[in-house]
Amino acid sequence: MHIPDNFLSPPVWATLDVIAIPAVGLMVRQAGRQLDDTRIPLLGVMGAFVFAAQMINFPVGIGTSGHLVGGALLAYTLGPAPAVLVMTVIVAIQAFVFQDGGVLALGANVFNMAVVGVLAGYWPYHVWGASWRRSAMFAGAFLSVMVSGSLALGELLMSGVAMPRAMVLVSLALFAASAAIEGAITICVIQAIAKLDAGFVPQPRASNRRTLAILGGAAIALGAVGFLVASAAPDGIQRLGIQLGLTARTVLHAPLADYTMGSLVESAWVRRATAGLTGLLLIYAVCATTARWLVRRRSA
Amino acid sequence: MHHVLLDRWSQGTSPLHRRDARAKILALLVFLVVLATTPATAVAVLATYAALLAAAILIARLPLGGVVTRAMVVLPFSLTFALIAWLAGEPLRALALVEKSYLSTVAVLLLAGATPLSLLLGGLERLGSPRLLVLVAQFLYRYLFVLSEQAQHMRLAASCRDSGAGHRRGSRFRAATGALAVLFARSYERAEGIHRAMLARGFSGRFSLLHAPRFGARDGAFLLLVSAFLILVRLG
Repeated sequence: MHIPDNFLSPPVWATLDVIAIPAVGLMVRQAGRQLDDTRIPLLGVMGAFVFAAQMINFPVGIGTSGHLVGGALLAYTLGPAPAVLVMTVIVAIQAFVFQDGGVLALGANVFNMAVVGVLAGYWPYHVWGASWRRSAMFAGAFLSVMVSGSLALGELLMSGVAMPRAMVLVSLALFAASAAIEGAITICVIQAIAKLDAGFVPQPRASNRRTLAILGGAAIALGAVGFLVASAAPDGIQRLGIQLGLTARTVLHAPLADYTMGSLVESAWVRRATAGLTGLLLIYAVCATTARWLVRRRSA
Repeated sequence: MHHVLLDRWSQGTSPLHRRDARAKILALLVFLVVLATTPATAVAVLATYAALLAAAILIARLPLGGVVTRAMVVLPFSLTFALIAWLAGEPLRALALVEKSYLSTVAVLLLAGATPLSLLLGGLERLGSPRLLVLVAQFLYRYLFVLSEQAQHMRLAASCRDSGAGHRRGSRFRAATGALAVLFARSYERAEGIHRAMLARGFSGRFSLLHAPRFGARDGAFLLLVSAFLILVRLG
């Protein structure tokens, strides 16, 4: 699910970068407010735990094995905002140190796996976790993997990456299977952890009820959009892309003729790039203002 | 192990290693953006980028073969999609997809291989990443080795106890669950110990370096030269 560079078209990765930055900033600020300094080493060590957990294989079928992805587990044990923070760091380290996922696509990967994945994973636990704990945890872990997978798929299709319909369906089925495995592993591990010390898995907190419910619901809705985009025919997606002004080739991808023209100022490539950048700056300004407004409202 | 090698590479003293992390990060971003907007048909331009990367690897005195092999991690993903594009009758696009994703990976590897991670994270912090995020990343990287080793020991111990034959899947699943839970609890305890030890040594909430990195004239010149070269090549 880690998208490397050059698979997403510039408008798609740039937009997601601009969205991911204030989203992560907001979550980091919220995590910083909830945590005292004693918990900072804990977050780092828990991130390392998620890496190390991938070495322990769970047998799931004939000859195959799965491993923990961890977003939902972190959300249940650390709380949603710190979990988003830790997952962001994990995705970034995977990109820089392990070359797993691109650097320009970092915003997209962080958005899919750390922001939307974790929030969607926490949402069921938040809504009905107090009464039906097991089902909420399973649903959350399932959603976290499924939602990030279908978002990644939707983004690839929006970027005009050619994928036959059969492959899209097979990938969705694979995501569903690994999401179910994640759900099973998460429930079992959480129960075992709670047996060691019930304090490791706190009850869903009563505060911030509305905001979290809205955020989580939005995350799941986004995943559903990704799912729909992914399962629609590629033609439909390109039409959608054109309507949104997002199609790759029209905004930044220059045809060969443009850049051999020579003159820098009159080159269509430069004009398009400027238009694209202006659009991005606008989006960034909107995101930053919204984030600031949200933060101010919260602290007021 | 995978990242131990990278750690050794990043300890070098080449001119590229000595540049300020910020200059290298920004140069990488310029490279990636220019590469991402290069059309698939510009074969000569892509070849120039490849030559530039090769030169940089040699300047950084990193093993060319090692970098080339390690960057292949991206190939399974890009080859799959390239195959589809090829079958769809777009061979040029298929080729460009492989080339471009591979070149990006080499570029990121070059940055990680020529910059120790602590300095890289410090550079990201100075470029505006939130302090908490960078702090967590420092801890994560520090304990990545420790916990991975612990997980490996636990896996080894489990396979020593396990006779292998005749076990049902359910019991193996339970064993793996238990191992993860124990690893979790041990990590939790370790974190508490770490924090007490750090307080005892006067930790103030921020990592301080013995030599604060300075963005000097050479770093500025490096960034300017690389960017100018890339943009000139891109515009033809």
